[in-house]
Amino acid sequence: MAIKLTRREIATALSASAVLLAQAPAPPQPQNSPLSPDDELKAARDSIRQNSEQLAKFPLPMSTEPATRFKA
Amino acid sequence: MATIPDDIFFATIIEINQKLKAKEFSVRELTKAFSERLERLGPRYNALGLSLRQQADREARDVDGDIKRERFRSPLQGIPFGAKDLLSYAKQPTTWGARPYAGQVFDYTATPLTKLAKTGAILIGKLAMVELAGGPSYRYANASLTGPGLNPWDRTRWSGGSSSGSGIAVAAGLVTFALGSETSGSILTPSAFCGITGLRPTYGLVSRHGAMALSWTLDKIGPMCRSAEDCGLVLHEIAGADARDPATAGKSFYYAPQFSRDLKYIRVGFAPVDFDDAAEPSARPDFAKALETIRSLGVQVTEVKLPEFPYGPIISTIISSEAASIFEPLIRSGKVDELVDPKQIAGLKAGLEIPAADYLKAMRIRSLIQSAFSDLLDNIDVLLAPSRLGPAPKITQPLDRPTIDRPASLTALIPAGNLAGLPALSLPCGFADGMPIAIQLVGRPFTENTLLAIGRDFQARTDWHRRRPPVS
Repeated sequence: MAIKLTRREIATALSASAVLLAQAPAPPQPQNSPLSPDDELKAARDSIRQNSEQLAKFPLPMSTEPATRFKA
Repeated sequence: MATIPDDIFFATIIEINQKLKAKEFSVRELTKAFSERLERLGPRYNALGLSLRQQADREARDVDGDIKRERFRSPLQGIPFGAKDLLSYAKQPTTWGARPYAGQVFDYTATPLTKLAKTGAILIGKLAMVELAGGPSYRYANASLTGPGLNPWDRTRWSGGSSSGSGIAVAAGLVTFALGSETSGSILTPSAFCGITGLRPTYGLVSRHGAMALSWTLDKIGPMCRSAEDCGLVLHEIAGADARDPATAGKSFYYAPQFSRDLKYIRVGFAPVDFDDAAEPSARPDFAKALETIRSLGVQVTEVKLPEFPYGPIISTIISSEAASIFEPLIRSGKVDELVDPKQIAGLKAGLEIPAADYLKAMRIRSLIQSAFSDLLDNIDVLLAPSRLGPAPKITQPLDRPTIDRPASLTALIPAGNLAGLPALSLPCGFADGMPIAIQLVGRPFTENTLLAIGRDFQARTDWHRRRPPVS
């Protein structure tokens, strides 16, 4: 969302941001993923497909509507 | 200038409130001591997102003025606290724990923080979190802008997530309480692993205005504290309707455990396998003792089974679909690749490809889950299970190990309870391998007072919530 800030506020935010990054003890290093990015994406797609298959096994009557409300 | 004794860093809200009223120290002195501690020790555990020391000092000065004039607003008045960096605080960075949002600034403050400010509670810092609250899924503990959350009980182990900094900061005595958020396990897990008390409120009880959205239909904001009583006091202040969050239920919460039903009328359901074969062997002795302590409260204990549903695929489909929609600009811009965790990057990208029919199927089955839990909780007031089946894993250990399906157990209670929108309370109940373990209580929607009454009695008979990690 676009917000309006004064120059002083921008300076404060940027300095706070710099402090924030400096506070981090070290940039987190990605662990050695056992998969390449392409294989990661393939694994994620496989997971979605498996979820889809699990959902497909669950029979539902037509009258079952999506959950939209929570009541006490 | 009063010296703040070390015990104060591990005191409860009521204990500190009494000392402030007795003028043993001022709010400014207290705030300064906690701020220094948060700045000194927070980075050691990768718990600190952003110190708000200057703002906190200004607010503390105002609250001291109120106390001097005996204008007492709430037990939270003058209490230093922290907030997960998923909640906006006007004109300060709100990073959501993710590098692509490191410079993000909002011009408004999240509703729960605004409500706490009205009580005179002092926000001293934003606390670290798993990037984007975990997104659809993540594989490693280091999936965060600030590095892996290191557990105060053993820095080689994970704090739990995604409210990692909130769990660490409360456990290590860096704040008196913290706010966290849960979509599926993000309050209960760090509470359990760090040995603190965490409350996941009923969906819709606490406004999420100003909070990062991960899943509109699952996200909740809740307190992470030293005790069940503290959770009740904080929830009392942050609950309630908010026109800026259309999902709020329009209900208030009044912490009143004294008016809850006599515990002898409370029916508690559990699955024996959860406290035996399903639990990690090192955790079984203290889980067994916790079960005995629950029995000793006088409640009626009975065996139950969870309704059978494919909870994992359902919640995964819902979170992945909603998260992909929420973060579509991040994904399409390519900035998603700046995230740390490769599994989360891939999960967000793939989430855009989930068919609408699958999302709707998951939400339709979710209707049946809500009905099934409504029926189950007609006969049972509270479900009891381990919060997690064992202690915190090592930070180098992959977190996405496959779970073992045990039909007779309540091990799916975290996704199930979140899908049904139910409140849950995690209570420290012992140790395994030198690390905290915990039990969870899950109740009907809006029955937080019942959970807190059981929690308060449990903590009157145990001292697990009083144990302190070797922080230095």
